[in-house]
Amino acid sequence: MEFEKFTLLEIVNMLKNKTVSSEQLTKYFISKIEEKKSLNAVLEVFDDAINLAKEADKKIQAGENGKLLGVPVIIKDNILYKGKKCTCSSKFLKDYIAQYNSTVVEKILQEGGVIIGRANMDEFAMGGSTENSAYGITHNALDFDRVPGGSSGGSAVAVAGGLCPVSLGTDTGGSVRQPCSYNGIVGIKPTYGRISRYGVVAFASSLEQVGPMTKTVKDNAYMLQILSGKSINDETSADIPVEDYLSQIKGQINGLNIGVCKEVMQMMSGLEVEKIFLQVLEWLKSNGANLIDVSLPNFDLCLPCYYIIAPAEATSNLGRFDGIKYSTRSDKAENVDQIYTKSRSEGFGKEVKRRIMLGNFVLSSGYFDAYYNKAKKIQIKLKEQAKDIFKKCDVLLFPTTASEAFKLGSKTDPVSMYKEDMFTITANILGIPSLTLPFAKGKSNLPLGLQIMANNFEEGKIYNLADYIENNWRWK
Amino acid sequence: MKKIDFIEAKRLASLSALDFSEEELNAFVPEFEKILDMVEQIKNCNTENVDLTYSTHKLKDLREDKSKVGMSQDEVLLNSPKSKKGCFVVPQMLED
Repeated sequence: MEFEKFTLLEIVNMLKNKTVSSEQLTKYFISKIEEKKSLNAVLEVFDDAINLAKEADKKIQAGENGKLLGVPVIIKDNILYKGKKCTCSSKFLKDYIAQYNSTVVEKILQEGGVIIGRANMDEFAMGGSTENSAYGITHNALDFDRVPGGSSGGSAVAVAGGLCPVSLGTDTGGSVRQPCSYNGIVGIKPTYGRISRYGVVAFASSLEQVGPMTKTVKDNAYMLQILSGKSINDETSADIPVEDYLSQIKGQINGLNIGVCKEVMQMMSGLEVEKIFLQVLEWLKSNGANLIDVSLPNFDLCLPCYYIIAPAEATSNLGRFDGIKYSTRSDKAENVDQIYTKSRSEGFGKEVKRRIMLGNFVLSSGYFDAYYNKAKKIQIKLKEQAKDIFKKCDVLLFPTTASEAFKLGSKTDPVSMYKEDMFTITANILGIPSLTLPFAKGKSNLPLGLQIMANNFEEGKIYNLADYIENNWRWK
Repeated sequence: MKKIDFIEAKRLASLSALDFSEEELNAFVPEFEKILDMVEQIKNCNTENVDLTYSTHKLKDLREDKSKVGMSQDEVLLNSPKSKKGCFVVPQMLED
């Protein structure tokens, strides 16, 4: 049987009905990882995966329950899983072994999931193409010559390439949604605080969230419910009840108020995605939704604000990598200062260094007010503008990216790479939930993603609309 | 106006505890300039009436301040590139 053809929910049922064992599934997906090694999506297959699958099978036989009992899962290489390597695709952490479980790993294990490996990414999640990994580039699952997107490129390719039914990524400025869009799958960046970040190696703490990456909207809704909730170890995780997201999927969108943002429409003008985006809006209207014109006046400043706030936080978070506590120390260091400088210079890649420098620039005296404080103030302004939007709308629609996945090696200029995030960054700056689902094909026959956003903690509304589009909008 | 030059880049490298060759820094300066041009767009936005708060998150759900067993010394030191007798090893800092 070709198990990659089944959705997560189908696999959960097959395991429950004992039409397949976890051992069979796990061996199958591990063989797929081996077969598609050239994609370089998975950095390591964990050596205890098959044993864990056998244990899951025993539990299934004994009649035990678990929402993911026996399901193979792949995690991004910046999520801690006790006893396993976690390198953040950096040379700096090449030998780092996690000493505790992240909350998300704990939740997967509690539900009986079998974590089979860790996926490639841009180093420390900095990048939009998975070309910044110290362990080689990852290839797009649908076109070998193109980027998979990033930073969670390996996780997206793992699902789209049929290496597992579900994976986890992290999203600081679009790092779940953009690779999902480029590989034609579904991914969500939940509301800030919906999922605990405990045990996720920090890049920009105030912006990032873990997000599930799946083949379908319903799979994603199922997975988000499992991962969400307050954690005592993460003060920023929200103490707000977790909804049953699947039950929020009603199969109709009558009277749904969909916001169409003026500034986004202007930005989209002339881009590959524009025409089909307008078509889907018209189709939604003819299916009973109301299109509401809204405005996010400072939309164009989300990108510059992000490239101030994120590097500022990154430079602080990466200060811990000093050559003393974690994994790497330069052989050439002769004194303590050299331990810091040489270990960091040898251990970090070019993009990580660039962002550390940028972070130190915007935080240094003389520039702090003009850059960092100003960006934080604009962020507050943007949040106020978003409040007004959600007084009138249930959801807000953006494209996920301007066009299809670009060719490997084609973007060498950092600013053009940063602009890749122009439609995804808004949700991180605002803290609101945002999901991408494939909704069209571009001129090279590769997928384009549609982004659905909602007010804080209203992921249910997103899933309802996304599922409706997935099942009724004809584009394939 | 030029926002960054070689000397400023060198100062930033030192603040960042990063070493660059002269060639690397020379290549870095124009790239950095472009990034700053992009982020500078924020300058024209009026934020006069905005009260600055760094975190919009309310500190209301702090857990009880009780000690709990954390990681063992061995676990903490396991990832250190050099350790001995329960300590991190660093080069000598004080004269004999």
